[in-house]
Order: sequence, then structure tokens, then C-alpha cells
Amino acid sequence: MKKYTLIIACFFICWTTACKKLDVPPINIIQDKDVFTSTGGIQAYMARIYSQLPIEDFRYSPQRGLNFFWIISPFPAVTGEALSRDQTGAMQENVDESPWSDSYKLIRDVNYFLENMPKYAATYTPEQVNAWLGEARFIRAATYFALVKRYGGVPIIDKVLQVPAANVDDLNVARSSEEAVYDYIAADLDYAYTNMGETNQVGRANKYVAAGFKSRAMLYAGSIAKYNQVTLVDATGNRVCGIPSAKAVTYFKAAYDAAVLLENKYSLYKNGWKAGDKAAQYQNYVDMFFDKGSSENIFVRQYHYPESVHGYDAYNVPRQLMGANGYSSEVNPTLNFVEMFDGLPKNADGTIKTMTAGKYDLYTNTMDLFADAEPRLRATVILPGDVFKGQSIEIRRGIYTGSSAGGIGPLLPAGSTANYPTANIVQSSNATQTPYNLPGGGTLNPAGLSGVFSGDGTCAISGFSVRKWLAPDKPTSEVLENRSDQTWIELRYAEVLLNRAEAAYELNTAGQNDKNYLQDAFADINQIRERAGADMLASAANLNSIDIVRKERRKELGFENKTWWDMRRWRIADKEQNSTIYKILMPFYSANDKKYFFDSRTDERNVRYTFDVRWYYEQIPNGEIQKSQKLIQNPGY
Amino acid sequence: MRKIIYTLAICAVTLVGSSCSKLDDYAAPSETLNGSVVDAGTGKTVQTEQGSGTRIKLLEISWSNNPTPFYIASMQDGTFNYTKLFAGKNVISAEGPFVPMVQTDNTGKTIVDKSQTVDIKGTTTVNFSVEPFLRIEWVGEPVLNADGTITVQVKINRGTNDPNFQQDVSDINLYVNSNKFVGNNNFDDRYSPLTSYGGTDGNAKLGQTLTLTTKGVLPGQRQYFIRVGARTNYGLKYYNYTDVKTVTAP
Repeated sequence: MKKYTLIIACFFICWTTACKKLDVPPINIIQDKDVFTSTGGIQAYMARIYSQLPIEDFRYSPQRGLNFFWIISPFPAVTGEALSRDQTGAMQENVDESPWSDSYKLIRDVNYFLENMPKYAATYTPEQVNAWLGEARFIRAATYFALVKRYGGVPIIDKVLQVPAANVDDLNVARSSEEAVYDYIAADLDYAYTNMGETNQVGRANKYVAAGFKSRAMLYAGSIAKYNQVTLVDATGNRVCGIPSAKAVTYFKAAYDAAVLLENKYSLYKNGWKAGDKAAQYQNYVDMFFDKGSSENIFVRQYHYPESVHGYDAYNVPRQLMGANGYSSEVNPTLNFVEMFDGLPKNADGTIKTMTAGKYDLYTNTMDLFADAEPRLRATVILPGDVFKGQSIEIRRGIYTGSSAGGIGPLLPAGSTANYPTANIVQSSNATQTPYNLPGGGTLNPAGLSGVFSGDGTCAISGFSVRKWLAPDKPTSEVLENRSDQTWIELRYAEVLLNRAEAAYELNTAGQNDKNYLQDAFADINQIRERAGADMLASAANLNSIDIVRKERRKELGFENKTWWDMRRWRIADKEQNSTIYKILMPFYSANDKKYFFDSRTDERNVRYTFDVRWYYEQIPNGEIQKSQKLIQNPGY
Repeated sequence: MRKIIYTLAICAVTLVGSSCSKLDDYAAPSETLNGSVVDAGTGKTVQTEQGSGTRIKLLEISWSNNPTPFYIASMQDGTFNYTKLFAGKNVISAEGPFVPMVQTDNTGKTIVDKSQTVDIKGTTTVNFSVEPFLRIEWVGEPVLNADGTITVQVKINRGTNDPNFQQDVSDINLYVNSNKFVGNNNFDDRYSPLTSYGGTDGNAKLGQTLTLTTKGVLPGQRQYFIRVGARTNYGLKYYNYTDVKTVTAP
């Protein structure tokens, strides 16, 4: 009987407790209502999509794609701004699916936000809701821009695609025309500008960020319309590669108007700048990249050790300041880059002057050649003998031991790509050096502490080392991979001014005269030049070539991962990199003169850059084409 | 113990035996497609470069109206030969340094379509007649000079009368290489003179007898393979070439 009582008791216990509904939302998964009903939840959502925003920052290289720590094969060594021992020629991005599929994942996340956040709008003020929707659309626009600048016209996905779909064909979306994608970007950014506030957290967009991005995107669109030669039209008449040239003026005007919106909201960083004081102008330019309160920073991506890090310092410090990981000198500016700047002795053809009447000019110190150099150059590039982290960065190719009676003639004939002769030149093949006994006493290592070594590329192979972005106060013990956390400045006011100048110049060339565009471009360029400490343009009439505007842009934005895209949209990359060997500047010490001379020559490795015309439109990943038959490949792949 | 061993042995035999059935029973592709891309004006093949020059585009329409294209690279003399195709119906065209065989207008409508629909079976030969952008012809034979250089003479003309494809000439290069594969993607930069032209400057070189000389001093006792290439500013800027000449340095 006791048994039965127990069974009945068990039965009732089970019965009553079983009366719970099992169909409850899993409590270990965060739901929409958990995320979208608090500002903290929305901030977390935003943090994730911002972290995936496809911008080419400290964690980008064309060889390994976005958001990857290892940045050897650096971007500047693809454009000709610099040489790197790990980059042996021109290339396009070699990243397979990455930018394409990552971008569409991000677009899906944004579309999800746009569709689902408004369901919880009652929790917030309408201003808050609109600002967030604007912010999401800014991110979507920036992502589409990352796609269109690579591939041309891409499929526009403006809603969350449902999987599994009733009809699989609905998931296959054909490419829109390149023009339609740029228009879509413009519409998203206009919405963002209208709906967002004037300020936001650092690292997040505000309305002016949207306007700044618009000036950038529209300038690209205008350039494609004006300079592109490649056409691809699909069966329904969408021009997926190329924009009708008649649209150039529309886009340049949109770029100009968007850039003007930022006037008086941001300004060039001049906190430490003093008129006529080159040292102060130099220091000001260096500080600009590290001052968190800089009035020039429009859109930044922040890093913080140890949870969000990069390794820019470790890969790029000069050899003599190498950290424990054994990396250094990945980015060595070419002489082609350095020659663009003012304040150097120049020949009539604009090349650097190192000789007089067929004999090398002699200098007591290597920095003497650069005594009057533009401050911006010193702040961008470590010149041989300049001071960095309290040390003089010693760059010397070798010791010339030949007679110096009557001056030293060229070591090699002009234009020669041969190796340096070994007679009369003492050199070092690596950092383990045998000191050379100088005539009259004393010894000197054949090469400098930071190179140049004849058999080891871990040195300043071009005769220069990069300075931009390098933390000026980081102790060598911390110069390690994944140990740097300086902020990446994706958009600064200087770029907006340069966008404005370029758009204005192009409008002036196109005969637009509703404003004095040439005068506007002239004023913008001179603002940049004044801050840089460069020679000023005397008058608007002196601004007589688009190349002046472009050169200013390449100098100001060098090593900021923008030049590659500029060379592509101007469609000059295939002319500039047409079996091209970039130039280097090699300092030698003449033992008999006890002075330095400089030899300007082509890259000793004889690395040739040839840009394939197909690369103006990157290959759409084959995996994507196999997934959707509506996707058509770009020409030539 | 013995029983266990027998059981294991029987299992092993069964597994090995049963796994031997063939599943991949579709015959390997074995049909051949060959042919050449011929200059309509001269009847000669259109010279191109190995790897990144002319290619043949196959659209197999036996199964799908919208197939993924399959490409066959042409050899540098403008001929092609591919021996591992499946039998099937294909729409075949060629892309390269000549007026495109398939052209669309700005609404996507096909206005020119010279592609051929061919049943590939056994050995199928397809020839294409095209108009090259530039027609480059040797004038006389290359001359080996006493100073260790080679001088050649060529004449460059436009290969098409269609003004849509008469863009400015942008490059005229003499290529030298130590093997017979020579072109813009494969040359010895120590000896090959390259010349780029801006704007319309290059057009003045058309119709003239041009004299080009190699750079530097060519070491002796070997063969050199030389070729002249030129291109215009159209589209992907393919190069047109002469055929390859061999010069033996004593």
C-alpha cells in the first residue's frame, strides 16, 4: 500500500511541475527586446558594427585584407609611396572573399537594425531614434562605398533577406549600375546628415562625418565618370562598370557642396603652429596624429591596449629602434615621394640635386641636404640623420674610399640599374658590421645603424624611414606586435579641404561658373600648404593644373592608405606603374673628405611595378559568382 | 582469442571488398577545341602574349541559358588548342587585342555579335576573323650591331577603320628575352627599351618606319628572342605584337 502512495505522490509531483510551458524564448540568447530597449544595448550593437566597418586602417594590408594584425606587404609599398622588403611589385588586393562577404554581412546587420529598432521606438525620443537610424545608414553607406570603389556596381540589398526564402531566386540579386550604387550611398548619407546630431561619442559618426564621407564618395564618382575607360553593361542595360561622363559635373558638385558643410565645424590642427617657425610647424604636424582633442579629427577608430590593438610601431620603426619581435623598417619612403616636397635642392626637371657639374655635392652631416626641407616632410618621413625618440637615425649605404681629388664623379652612369661597384666602396651585408679604419685615425661602420645593408632588407632600403603614425614616445620594450594602440584617423579635415579643392578645380575645368571655383580651390590648397610649412601658391592663376591639386593630396595624405584609391580613380595607375622602378637616395661617407654625398638611383633590388589595367575593377570572388548566376564578372577575369 | 581475430579479419575483408565500388563513373573530358584568331586584313594570326593576352570564351548552353563562362588561354602566336573539354553545345568568342567580337550599346542591347555556336565533339576547329587595334609589321630583319645592341625596324598601322576603336597610341616597346615567351609580362628589363606617350603624341608614330634599338650591351654566345609590342588607350589596354624573331649573338 505504501508503494501505491509513493507512486501516486510521484505522479502528482511530476504532473504539477510539468505544467510549465516549454515554448519559452531561450534565456541564454540575447533577444531584440533586450538589445533595442536600452541605450546600452544599442551602444553595444553599434560598437560591433563599427568594429567591422571596412576601413583601411592599422590592421589592413592588400595582401591579407581588413582587420588582420600582420601588416607586412604594407599598402604604401604598393602605391610607390614606399618600398618594403616584403613587397616585390604592383598588386591588387589579394583577399579573395573578404571585402565582399564581410561587407554584405555588415549590411545585413545594419538592415536588421533599421527594420527592428523602430519597433521599440516608444522607449526613446524621436530625436534619438532618428539619430540612430541615421547612424546605421551612415554605416551602410560607408560599407557600400567600400564595395563600389573595389568592384564597381554591386547588388543593392536594402532589406533583411529571409532565409529560407519562399523563392530562392529572390536571394539572387543582380548588380546595380555603378551610378546607382553611388546614388544610393548619397541618399543614405543625406539621410544621415539630416537626422543625426552634431556630436556623438568619439569613434562614432555625427552629421558632419556623414557629410565628409559624402564629399569623398562623390569625388570618387565624379572621377570615375570623367576618367574611366572601361565599360561593362549587363543584359538589362545596367552599366555595372563606368559612369556616363555627363554625370561628372553632378557628382563633383555634390562633393563640393558636401565638403562646404564642414566649414567652421572642424579646422586644421594648428595648436603648436607658429608662422615662420619651421621647428614649431614640424612639431605641430607630428602632434596632430596623437592629440586626442584635435579639431581636425572628424572620424577616428580608437585602439586600446590590451583589448584592441595593432602593431604599426613594431613593423615600421627604424632598424636601430627595433623591438623584440625582430620587425622593423617595413615602410621606407621612396625618393619619388620625398621629391614632391618643397625645400630641397632641385634640378630643373624637379629631381633632387645631388651633384654640381658632374661631381657629388659634399655635406658634413646627412641632414644638411634637408636643412630647408618643408616641415611636413620631416614629420612624414625620417630623413637620414634626423632625430627620432631622442636618437639620430643613422642611415648610410657605405664608405667611399677612393680619391677625392677634384671631386667624386658618379658611382654609376645616369639611369643605370646595375649594382654599385665594389672597388672603392666598403659596405656591410647585414647589421653585424666590421668597422672600417678611417685614414687619419678613427673607425666607422660601413653602414648606418638603420642601414643600408647590401644583403639584408631589414633596414631603410630606400634611404628613408617612415615617421607618420609612429608613436614618438613609445619605449623600445613596448615596440611589439599587438602592443600599439594609437588612434587611426580615417577622415580628417585636411582631406575634406582637399576633396573640396579637387571638386572645385574639376568644376572650374568643366566650365562651371556659378561660383568662383578656382579661387575656392586656391584658398583650400593654400590653407593646407600654410599649415604644412610649404611654399604658398602666389595666386589663383598659378593653380593651372589638376596635378597641383593631386600632388598636394598625395603629400598630405601619404601613408594614410588613401593614395592607392586615388591612383585608381584618377585612372593614372597604369601609366605611373608601367614597368616602373622607384627611386631611392643613398648616403655615402667619403673617407678622404670626411663628408657625405648622396647618390640618387633606382631601387637596388630592381623591383618593377606594372599595374594591370584590369585592376581598376577588382575581380568579383568566384565563390560569389557560383552562388548567384545573376552576378556577372568584371572585364578581363 | 582466435575467435576475435577471425571476426576482425572478416570485418576487414568485408570493408575492403565493399569499398571497392566505383562511384565516379562519368568519363573524363576528352574533346578537343583548337583554332586561331586571324587578322581579317592580312589573314595572319593575331599575335598576343602568353597568359594575359587573347583568351577564348566558352558558354556551354547545353544545360543552361546563363552559364558561367569558361576561358581558354591562347598561345602567344594567336592559336589555341585545348584537349580536355566535355562534349556539348557552346557559344564561343574571343577576347583580346582586337575589336570586341561582342559589343553592347549603353542599354545592354547586343549590337555586334560575331560569336559562333558550335557543337564540340571529337576535334573541333574554330577560327575567328578579327580586326586588331594595331597591326605591327617587321620591316626587314633585326640587325645585330657591333656594340652589342640589336636594331629593328617596324611599321605600325591601325587594324580597324572603326573610329570607336582608334584611341591614342600609349606605348611602343621593344622586348628582349632569353626564351621564346616574350611580351609585356615577360621580358628582360636590362635590355628592353620601353616608351610611353601622353595624349595624342603616340599617333604620330603610326604609318612610319620606326627604328628601335635595345638598351645596354647584350652578352654574346646565346640566342635572343625579340618582339615589338604597342597598345592604345582602349578598355583593358591589351598589347598588339609582332611575331617573335630570334637573333643569335656570336
